[in-house]
Amino acid sequence: MSKTTTQTTDRGGTEDTVETTTGETVEQVREEWRDYSFAGPTKIGVEDLDVYYGDDHALDGVSMEIPEQSVTALIGPSGCGKSTFLRCLNRMNDRVSSARIDGSVTLDGEEIYQEGVNLVELRKRVGMVFQSPNPFPKSIRQNIAYGPEKHGDINTGLLARLLGRSDEEAREELVERCLRDAALWDEVNDRLDDNSLGLSGGQQQRLCIARCLSVDPEVILMDEPASALDPIATAKIEDLIEGLAEDYTVVIVTHNMQQAARISDQTAVFLTGGKLVEYGDTDQVFEDPRSERVEDYITGKFG
Amino acid sequence: MMAGATRTRLVSRETSRANAVAGVAVVLAAILFAMSLAALFEVIPISDPIAGIPVVAILGGVLMLLGGAVIAFGLGSYLGAVETQPSPSAGVVAAAAFGIVWLVLVGIAVGRFLSLGSAGWIVALFVGGAAFAVTAVPREDIGSTLPAGAACLLVGATFLTGAIGPEWVWELDFEQTASLTAEFVIPVATLGAALLAGWAAAKAYGGFGARGRRMGAYLLIYLNAGSIVGVLFLLLAFTTFRGLPGLFTGVEVGPGVGPSVFGIALPVSLPFVMNGVALLNDFQGVLPAIVGTIWLVIGAVLFAVPLGVGAAIFLTEYAEYGRITQIVEVATNGLWSTPSIVFGLFGFAFLIPRFGGGKSLISGMLTLGFMLLPLVLITSREAMLAVPDEYRDASAALGVSKWQTIRSVVVPSALPGVVTGVILGVGRIAGETAPILLTMTGGTFVPGGQTVDVIGGFEFTAAPPFVANPELLQATTALPFQLYALITAGVGLGDNVASPEQFQWATAFVLLLVVLSFYAIGIGARYYFRRKLNHE
Repeated sequence: MSKTTTQTTDRGGTEDTVETTTGETVEQVREEWRDYSFAGPTKIGVEDLDVYYGDDHALDGVSMEIPEQSVTALIGPSGCGKSTFLRCLNRMNDRVSSARIDGSVTLDGEEIYQEGVNLVELRKRVGMVFQSPNPFPKSIRQNIAYGPEKHGDINTGLLARLLGRSDEEAREELVERCLRDAALWDEVNDRLDDNSLGLSGGQQQRLCIARCLSVDPEVILMDEPASALDPIATAKIEDLIEGLAEDYTVVIVTHNMQQAARISDQTAVFLTGGKLVEYGDTDQVFEDPRSERVEDYITGKFG
Repeated sequence: MMAGATRTRLVSRETSRANAVAGVAVVLAAILFAMSLAALFEVIPISDPIAGIPVVAILGGVLMLLGGAVIAFGLGSYLGAVETQPSPSAGVVAAAAFGIVWLVLVGIAVGRFLSLGSAGWIVALFVGGAAFAVTAVPREDIGSTLPAGAACLLVGATFLTGAIGPEWVWELDFEQTASLTAEFVIPVATLGAALLAGWAAAKAYGGFGARGRRMGAYLLIYLNAGSIVGVLFLLLAFTTFRGLPGLFTGVEVGPGVGPSVFGIALPVSLPFVMNGVALLNDFQGVLPAIVGTIWLVIGAVLFAVPLGVGAAIFLTEYAEYGRITQIVEVATNGLWSTPSIVFGLFGFAFLIPRFGGGKSLISGMLTLGFMLLPLVLITSREAMLAVPDEYRDASAALGVSKWQTIRSVVVPSALPGVVTGVILGVGRIAGETAPILLTMTGGTFVPGGQTVDVIGGFEFTAAPPFVANPELLQATTALPFQLYALITAGVGLGDNVASPEQFQWATAFVLLLVVLSFYAIGIGARYYFRRKLNHE
């Protein structure tokens, strides 16, 4: 076992730092630290997931099961692979040409890394919110309606209007519902035709969440959604996430451990080398971590 | 405290009057600068007097006034009469500049007026060295004002005493006989002296030191920018004033005097833009060339924009960045810098045999389209690369396909940039002469009746391809070519034009108007797309 550790140490510079700061041999990751049993059904199952960017081993044999309608926080120091892991769950890493992915990810028991997977359908079911707010340079209404219109679920084009088949009412309902669910409706309902880039950062991020909701996803992946926002906007986003967990399965990457402790039901800790070290109930992970390194990380001794 | 550093007061008083002197000197320098530019472009003829005083004398007087003011301020500052914060030295760069200025000034003066031969150059070198020393060694307030003010005084005195007057000619002793006239030398000398003294005055106005240097730099930058805008404006004004008489030759206003358009007679008759060239015309015009130019540009844009934007989409969105894209990039950059006559030859050898064997409008359109293509490709590619990847990620995360993302997010965001590229390209191709000379233009002057009518030229035929347009296969003319023909040959106008020169200038003016209207359309389009992107 110690042999494999040496290998990972040789590969990247960050692992060295970990070793020198802790000043002792790297502790071995034990299977039982990742044991987490929950009552409800499993939404996403991950088994032996390995990701390589060229020669860089970004994720190393990650396995975990994510329960339905809950908030799962992924924490860990920079470069530990948590964002990579998140982007594997809706196959956004396919867009990185150097990425190579081994292992299995299942959504409701169905393998998403196999031939014939419909990426459009997958990404409709597994939505994503990014680190920095990225609304399109279009109006608020167009931002929300973008996905359904492109999927042909809502048709308000010229031809549809001429033929009297325009779904304008359905669109208005959709826009209102998504904005309400994202707690943005009261702030913007009088200026739906304004350009979304005129909104504040926090409003833009909630608009991105609303846009994500517009295609009726089952899972929402969030990649540090509040890292670019001020404390008040962050608080709003956190409230929103807790509410979303009633209907959706939320997986959130965060650098902010208090945030993870506040909003998540279970927490997964990634440490350097792309390894999932500990996974369990949030209270347990934060109050009684089983791994010494996780305890060091959580109490701020490194990371 | 560091050596040489002086404590400056936070609030300085008692300097307002001295500052006013420096301020007036700056204004004088700016006026001189503008006057010398105007004289250079013959807006103010130097031989004519203004209010009874010869222009040369005015320039000389103002120069002397300016030089005197600058020197007075410098001395006053040195003697402590004016409160300033000068540095210990004006610096080596300023010293070298003044050294060269004085070397040249004295060299010319000695060579022209004293004829000392090679001894003159020794004198000039000596004076240049002295100017260097005077600038570099004493404190900044003396170093930057004395040489500049003295140069101003010298030039001013030369003008005032009549040593260089309006009739003065400088014969250059080159192998080719060449001479510089006073019309050129006087404005240029004034310009240089005004720049030097203006710089010194601006420094003085800032009280020397760091603030003074900043003021000096401001003055140079503003005068520079101002003169560039001024030259542009002068060029436009020059063409306009020369072109207007020709344009309005034979103009008539009244109900029904003009040609009829769609059955309605226009109330204005402007023969220059409504007629062609014909033996029996009362007034000749350039209508076929205007229409030819417009159709040329439209055709080239219709050909190049879809291809260029499509290629840019492929290169930025689909092709992996690598050898192939690099080769394409190098090739497009090379194509853009290819001389237009090469495109013309290509059109002549490749397109003409394939489009009816004769010069034709469509060959010209395609040739110019090929010329426009690389620029559209380069600018569209840049614009698409500038679209943030976050938009593409966001769209992909919604499950939207790549092509739909490109269509509804990438291209709309890139459109203002694309339009900018098209504007630049149209500016170039609309004025091209060489390619259309080889591919499109038939006779130099085309009668009005043979103006191309592309829209009306479409004909339906019984056999495939069912639509034909003989107008596209007709040789025609365009404004830049017509201008070229007028200037080189002046052929074909006959006796029906009062003044061939007026006709030429009017043609140039109309060409300018056509290009500017394309610009206006392009800028309007870009404004529209930007607004759509940013404000809705």
